[in-house]
Amino acid sequence: MTELQAERAGQRAAESLGVPRVEARSKRLRYLDVLIAVAAFAVLATLPFLFSSKALLDFVIRCSAFGLFATSLNLLVGYTGMISFGHGMFFGLGAYGFGLIMQRTGVPIPVAFIGTLLITTIVSAVIGAICVRLKEIYFAFVTLAFQMLIHSLILSWASLTGGDQGLRGGIPRPVFLGVDLSNHMHLYIVSCALLVIGLLLMRQIAQSPFGYTLRMIRDNASRASFVGIDVWRAKLTIFVLAALFASTGGIIMCLFVSGAYPEFAYWTISGEGIFINMLGGVTTFLGPMAGTVLLLILNDTVTRLTDYYGIVLGIVILFFAIGLRKGLMDFAVEWYEQRRDGAKESAR
Amino acid sequence: MTKTSKPGVSRRSTLALMGAGAMTIATPWVARAQAKTIKIGMPTILSGRVAQLGTSSRNGAMIEVDKVNAAGGLAGRQIEMVIRDSKGQPQEAARVARELVNTDGCELLLDAEASSGAFAVHEVARDLGVLCIHTNSETSSLTADPKQHIPNAFRSARQGVHDSIVGGGYAAAIAKAKGLKKWATCSPDYAYGRDTTGEFVYYLKQFAPDVEIISDSWPKLFQPDYTEVVTKILQAKPQAMYSALWGGDLTSYIDQANIYAMFSQMEVFAVNMADYTALTVVKNLPKGIHSGNRYIKTYPATAENAAWGDAYKAKFNEYPTNWSWENATAIMLMAEASRKANSADGKKIADAMRGLTIKSPFGADGSVTMRAEDQTLIGYAIGWGTTIPNEPYVPEVKSGDWKQILALEAEWKKTKGYT
Amino acid sequence: MDLDALTGCLASSACLVTQTTSGFIIGMLLFLVAVGLTLIFGVLKVVNFTHGAFYMFGAYFAMTAYQVTGSFALAMFCGAAGTAILGLVFERVFMSRVYGSDVLMQLLVCYAFVLIFDDVVRLIWGPEFKSMGMPTAFQVPPLFIVGGVVPPYYLLLIGVALAVAAFLGVGLARTKIGKVIRAAAHNPGMVSALGINTGLIYGGVFALGGMLAGLAGALAAPVRSLTPGMGFSVLIESFIVTVIGGMGSILGALIGALLIGLIRSFGSLGFPLFTDGLMYLFMVIVLVARPTGLFGKEVA
Repeated sequence: MTELQAERAGQRAAESLGVPRVEARSKRLRYLDVLIAVAAFAVLATLPFLFSSKALLDFVIRCSAFGLFATSLNLLVGYTGMISFGHGMFFGLGAYGFGLIMQRTGVPIPVAFIGTLLITTIVSAVIGAICVRLKEIYFAFVTLAFQMLIHSLILSWASLTGGDQGLRGGIPRPVFLGVDLSNHMHLYIVSCALLVIGLLLMRQIAQSPFGYTLRMIRDNASRASFVGIDVWRAKLTIFVLAALFASTGGIIMCLFVSGAYPEFAYWTISGEGIFINMLGGVTTFLGPMAGTVLLLILNDTVTRLTDYYGIVLGIVILFFAIGLRKGLMDFAVEWYEQRRDGAKESAR
Repeated sequence: MTKTSKPGVSRRSTLALMGAGAMTIATPWVARAQAKTIKIGMPTILSGRVAQLGTSSRNGAMIEVDKVNAAGGLAGRQIEMVIRDSKGQPQEAARVARELVNTDGCELLLDAEASSGAFAVHEVARDLGVLCIHTNSETSSLTADPKQHIPNAFRSARQGVHDSIVGGGYAAAIAKAKGLKKWATCSPDYAYGRDTTGEFVYYLKQFAPDVEIISDSWPKLFQPDYTEVVTKILQAKPQAMYSALWGGDLTSYIDQANIYAMFSQMEVFAVNMADYTALTVVKNLPKGIHSGNRYIKTYPATAENAAWGDAYKAKFNEYPTNWSWENATAIMLMAEASRKANSADGKKIADAMRGLTIKSPFGADGSVTMRAEDQTLIGYAIGWGTTIPNEPYVPEVKSGDWKQILALEAEWKKTKGYT
Repeated sequence: MDLDALTGCLASSACLVTQTTSGFIIGMLLFLVAVGLTLIFGVLKVVNFTHGAFYMFGAYFAMTAYQVTGSFALAMFCGAAGTAILGLVFERVFMSRVYGSDVLMQLLVCYAFVLIFDDVVRLIWGPEFKSMGMPTAFQVPPLFIVGGVVPPYYLLLIGVALAVAAFLGVGLARTKIGKVIRAAAHNPGMVSALGINTGLIYGGVFALGGMLAGLAGALAAPVRSLTPGMGFSVLIESFIVTVIGGMGSILGALIGALLIGLIRSFGSLGFPLFTDGLMYLFMVIVLVARPTGLFGKEVA
């Protein structure tokens, strides 16, 4: 039985019983996840030795940054049904927080990393506390409003953030534990590690009882609260957790470009997160990762070939939104299921 | 509820797309740098609201590249320009710059990005050590700030501080002559607008200490409606106004200020007015706006400059912009440095370029120099004059004095803590 | 922050009048641009993110028509008619497919078209910014009305804005077609069951909303430069106005626009470097206190 089938069976059972069924994560499945994570990391780590392309390293680093961001957005959109238009503000917050700490204080990188996550926790908790009680499209509007407010602040507070020019002069990278982030290979390995660990953690969240609580809230929030779940608290928790992973993506991007720019906190980043989720699909855990790879390939290929990136991207979006009506991974999983059901049918 | 249609052909095309994509990243991209051509990477902005920056930069560079190639290329190697769009996003600028060098085999970079993009590419140049000439960023700190000094980065663009020194001096003379004591400013709220305006005001007050800024407005870049700014200025009743607005913003502002009859009530100093893009687009250009030169084919009033402007117009069917000449200058510098060093190697070109003086149609005295100490351009034609709504647009230009500019710039650097 | 300037102005009646007038003008211009967005949301429950693109097309159509014919009236007509047709086609062919889907799908379809439209305009008209120029009829000095300065062209714009507000307000409330439209917004199934072609109604309303955006663009063209992508800032402004006023409420859009106009006008005195931020802050406050906006109705 695949994860998806187990989930679906659980849902059907829950519906027939009228009782929300929370599946305890079996140890075996959790170990399987860790195994997959370790294997993925091993593959990523050996890639540079198989292909001598520096562009590949850059590509994977960018995928790590956007992949973490998009998957964290999916925790909100796909798993909890909270459509946030402003998630990019945490990407930008991560980049600026880390950049400022490294430029202004002499702390080691791991300390700056933790510090950035702390700042993100506080800010996202405050914003989340205000936003999560709003429903549907109003939640979307207010998150967008907050993002634009933060972007406006970044631009206006030029003495701290450098205004529209961003943090200049590069990000200092003191060596820590033998890791030198100014070495591109080290940066690559660390980004892959962050990506894999981040995805693993998000997977645990998604497949935990808390994750099922979120799905319940997505499907029917009032029923969830009747059953005794503190919907506001759950939403706030996932809002903060998603912000943390988005922040991490921002930190990776900050290290990649060696700076932080207001564009990192602009609504276009949120928009890209949404495209990625749509391209990859929101019903599978790895959908956003697939979407990230797809969007980045599309971006890189099209800008090599033409200046009219807008038309091409627009057509691709329409193809997925109106044509396929589902993301790539949703599509792949459905196709796989159809084939397998078809095989069962013919076997019978 | 709408039904989902069964995907048929689209499945194939999706898989094809995935396949093509997978192959693109899996295949090692080893750039085949032919012995005969040398690739120069040019990240720039070719889409979005500032697309004209990229297109005119490209044109300015290409018109010189064709000349260099016709004369044999850089140390015998023909130049191949690889121009790519960063869409105005600094992270894209960084990515594109890295891709041009790492994947496409570009040995030199011509960075035609605007401010924040230029800083992003600067970090890439710092990391990869490749020769990089910034051609469009006018932010002084890019070369003035010692933290930004790297041996392989140069700037062939004008600098905001130079424009402000000349502008301040010019405006002060008029202020003293016409008794303009109360001034207002209106500039876009971003680094270029704020820095340029701040510097202009500083130098204006240096030369004309009686001047007082009674009102300052900071509209957002690309703001469509300037009504609150126009009324605020009119209310303060200044005698003169300075603005660093440019391009479409300047045009919108002039249109909107016109219907409030602002131009009959005060002298207007708009540093970016004398640019063909603005001059030829504004339909009801008021007479007598003071402006600095961006690119004007009649200033310097030399045959070489006029010929260059005409050749550009003939080839691209549009007038050159400020960005055009800055990019052309970068190619000219590269060509001359390569000739001096008899090499197309980035490091040797960089060494030859420091302190290099070349003949140039854009030079104040027929030449421009790449100053060695901070690797930025000096000696280019810089001056102010008043505009008229038809050719030659700026009939008389009062030139800036480079001796004075350099002296004041040195002082400015001291006050900023750069030296 | 320059609070002295602000308090000084509030104390002086001359300044107060001028700033209020300018705030009123800004507000009415904002309303003219934003009303199409709120109309479409009110009836079709769809946030039309292509709103800015229609504004852009209206401006470009008008400019080209003016360059070809030299007639201001014809230019305005072309701007409005062109975007009305565009709106109808866009709605029937694309938007109608995503009515049932969640807002994310609608957003994506709209955004895809914004990207496409911006590049199409760039292809056809070129990337350089352009200017239509003020028709000679309006090249007259500004008027002084009740102590405030008002350019005659803006009087025209305010007149059009008020006419639109009245037309929509009365039209939707009193006329038969208005009632049908409101019924279709409330219960499309029932209206369709009564034999009325809801598709036509939806198409018509979207065409009207698009036309209003295009008309606003055409009217703004003489005083604003035209460039591909000019619709974006207008979209943000319209969005803020309609969200504050309440999505779907014409009156809300009017009040919201006037409030924003006053905030901009007085804000630029007191907070010249944070005027935009003030707007977003106000939007956040309204959304938190009253999520449906000042005059909005709870969406079922």
